[in-house]
Amino acid sequence: MERKSIFNFIIILVFAVLLIGLLNLDILQGAKFRRLSDSNSIRLISQSGARGNILDRNGEVIVDSKISYDVMILPEDLSQVDYVLNRISRILGTQTAQLKAAFKKNFVSSSVPVTVASNIDLKKAILLGEFRAEEPTIIVTPKPLRHYPYGALAAHVVGYVNQIDRWRLTKLEDYGYKTKDIVGFGGLEEKYDYYLRQEEGGLCVEVNHRGKFMRVLGFQAPSNGKDIQLTLDLKIQKIVEDSMDGKKGSAILMDPQSGQIIALASYPNFNPAVFVNNRTNLISGLLNNPDAPLINRAISSSYPLASVFKVVVASAALELKKINTSTSFLCQGSTMVGARKFSCWDTHGAQDIFGAIAHSCDIFFYKSGLFVGAQNIHDYALKLGLGRNVGFELPYETSGFIPSPLWRKLNKFQNWFAGDTANLAIGQGDCLVTPLQATNMMAAFANGGFLTSPYIVKAVGGVDLSAKKKKLIPVNFKKSTFNTVISGLRKVVTDATGTGSDLSSLAVTVAGKTGTAQVSRNATHAWFVGFFPFDKPKFVICIFLENGGPGHAASVVAKQIIEAMNNQGLI
Amino acid sequence: MRNSFLRILILALVIALLGILSIYSSTYQKQGVWQDIYLRQLLWLVIGLACFFMFSNFNYRKLWDANYFIYGAALFFLFLVFALGIIRLGAQRWLRFAWFNFQPSEFAKLAIIIFLARYFSRKSVNDTSLLSGKFGIFQGIILPFIFVAVPMLLIIEQPDLGSGLMLMLVFICLLYLTNVRLRYIFTLLTLLILPLPLLWNLLHDYQKQRLLVFLNPNIDPLGAGYTIIQSKIAIGSGGFFGRGWLAGTQSQLYFLPESHTDFIFATFSEQWGFLGSCLLILMYYLIIRQGLIIAQRTQDNFGRLLAYGISLLLALQVFINIAMNMGLAPVVGLPLPLMSYGGSSILATFIALGILTNIDRTRNVF
Repeated sequence: MERKSIFNFIIILVFAVLLIGLLNLDILQGAKFRRLSDSNSIRLISQSGARGNILDRNGEVIVDSKISYDVMILPEDLSQVDYVLNRISRILGTQTAQLKAAFKKNFVSSSVPVTVASNIDLKKAILLGEFRAEEPTIIVTPKPLRHYPYGALAAHVVGYVNQIDRWRLTKLEDYGYKTKDIVGFGGLEEKYDYYLRQEEGGLCVEVNHRGKFMRVLGFQAPSNGKDIQLTLDLKIQKIVEDSMDGKKGSAILMDPQSGQIIALASYPNFNPAVFVNNRTNLISGLLNNPDAPLINRAISSSYPLASVFKVVVASAALELKKINTSTSFLCQGSTMVGARKFSCWDTHGAQDIFGAIAHSCDIFFYKSGLFVGAQNIHDYALKLGLGRNVGFELPYETSGFIPSPLWRKLNKFQNWFAGDTANLAIGQGDCLVTPLQATNMMAAFANGGFLTSPYIVKAVGGVDLSAKKKKLIPVNFKKSTFNTVISGLRKVVTDATGTGSDLSSLAVTVAGKTGTAQVSRNATHAWFVGFFPFDKPKFVICIFLENGGPGHAASVVAKQIIEAMNNQGLI
Repeated sequence: MRNSFLRILILALVIALLGILSIYSSTYQKQGVWQDIYLRQLLWLVIGLACFFMFSNFNYRKLWDANYFIYGAALFFLFLVFALGIIRLGAQRWLRFAWFNFQPSEFAKLAIIIFLARYFSRKSVNDTSLLSGKFGIFQGIILPFIFVAVPMLLIIEQPDLGSGLMLMLVFICLLYLTNVRLRYIFTLLTLLILPLPLLWNLLHDYQKQRLLVFLNPNIDPLGAGYTIIQSKIAIGSGGFFGRGWLAGTQSQLYFLPESHTDFIFATFSEQWGFLGSCLLILMYYLIIRQGLIIAQRTQDNFGRLLAYGISLLLALQVFINIAMNMGLAPVVGLPLPLMSYGGSSILATFIALGILTNIDRTRNVF
């Protein structure tokens, strides 16, 4: 009976092996196989919502989305792919080779739909939809795309959208961003991407071994991004851009009472739509353009403020009681500072502070600047918001730079000379200011003593943020200081020989200051920074023309804008 | 005594009904002829039960007498398959009848077991002792080997390597259970194993591939290894409680080939999980144990060997099939008795079980 028991034992052993095998598959490796099973039969077909719209202050659409259609195929059976692509190309009227290239580029794995053509129009989408009955591997999905009804309008404010790059992806991975996501680049699209961003939804479907659709397991509706309402006024923005067209530089209009940006333009500009359609040659044209159209000149580059800076020197001198309203200096066309001769752009004769601002007399400011001292000029410039970040909402703001003796000593180990002070007093030398900083400075004079915090986003997703964003920081100058400078600024326009006398013919009362910045080689930069109406300022205007000639050129642009605004009843 | 009859009947019936549930679940989403396949299986089950009752009341000793006829008939049908069988799934295993396909190899397995049982239970004329104890190497090994080898080669030629090799295993096990000397058995084993490397070249390409893939399914995940991978996924995804009745995606959505025949265990396991599969395996074990108990308490040598042979046939088929479902054995075309779709397999199994109960019923007569 020996053999019998051994035999029984073997049978028990054999069944034990089966149970152990079962234990291994079901319990030890169960989770893995469950996952594999799901990936066999479950497909996610994503549907993206629309990115949030960007509206102007009155709710007019600046940027929205329109539906376009993508053609995708499920490459379950690779031998079929060529045939299917052939059919698609016949319907779309595109080259098969192009579709094949797209297929090759976008292929991930045989279970993930591959996009072979995007942005096809409705008619072709419907044709392909009908073709689906024959070829179930074709998927046509609607995809909202960025749409720019006004083309390049406010391009630098808005920015553009494109496929996420590696650098952004590594930064944003933790926030749920994925490869091939469309994200904002530059402007509000980048800064507010998190709010504008749509949430992807999709269908969860069950398929059989051939990828044929069996049933829907679940559906999550995609949700649209939040709308962002700006403080921009579309009409004024249009006027500003029309006046700036063909020039180089930037223009800003701001409400001095609240800091709301009414219009902001930078030229040369670009059409963000080229990034949506991925027109590679146009994009590389933008990137290689020596005029750098993608740079927002209003905040991302800084320039010598030139004569506009005299407002700072005048304030400092008045505050420090180095001069008063009856002080006057004699302008004979030039003066000696140390051993060097500093000249004025004209011969003005005796000038008090009002006349000096009106005529932009250099001699007056060389002298008052020397009285005040370079460090004080630097300090007052900073008090007026120059040389430091405004804290604006658009990305890539530069802080500009106001030199000072202390800085030079510490960083360059060089001495500061009286000549440097004279240079700084007329806003030349190392003094660098962004147009937005200049606007902000002028706002302090327009609203009678408060530094604003410029902002451009009024509401996100319907929630009004303006109460939170409005921050007025008092500039603790004497009332008389402001009044004196403001009178000077008004005289720039009203005085028959004032540098901005062109603007006197306007129906609106304007005050402001022109500036002509010397640049080492090219033509001078032109500035006009002012505010209007004079009695109750509603707008600060800053026109900056890069290599645009004398300050007069900028005041002409300002005149055009104010005139058009007045004609349209926008003031 | 009636006890064993009822136990075997109930266990077999439950397993067969679970099989029909699994066949239904694996095909209900598929179109066309698949729709009513479970009904056909139900019909086979009814016929199988009829056979079961018939054979449980049919004195098995009569098989002793009919032995040569049965063996001859089995050979005849196997030759018939060889000559004019229909080809399905790349193998020539079936004979076309009026409305069904008949697979003689299923019955041939049983016929060979009956033949071997009779051969080894012959008694000497003088002292009524078993002859097998006195067998020399020729009578003990070579002669029965030839008798087994002829149908076996015909089955392997179909090609059905699984059934063929299984027959050889049954033969060796039965040898072990008779009084044939161990020496001879080991001689046979060595003689069988030594030329294996040479036989490699005689295998069909797909058979070679299956063996290679068994060692590493990932060498050809979309070809020969596909079935093993999908079957393992189906079983594993069941987890502890299973995915639930009609909720198995692997078997229903065509991912698992042959989900209602050879891979029905995976289909079942996907839906009923570890718990259900354990119970199923336990039920199979109980049937086989019942067979072994019957064998052990049967005095008649022919009945005893026959009972052993039938239990062994069941146990080996169950083991090889489930092991191949779990990727523990190479994929060979062996059905899971009582569960897999197929009339011949169901009938042959129920006939074998019927004979088993009859052995238990008749043993006291002597």
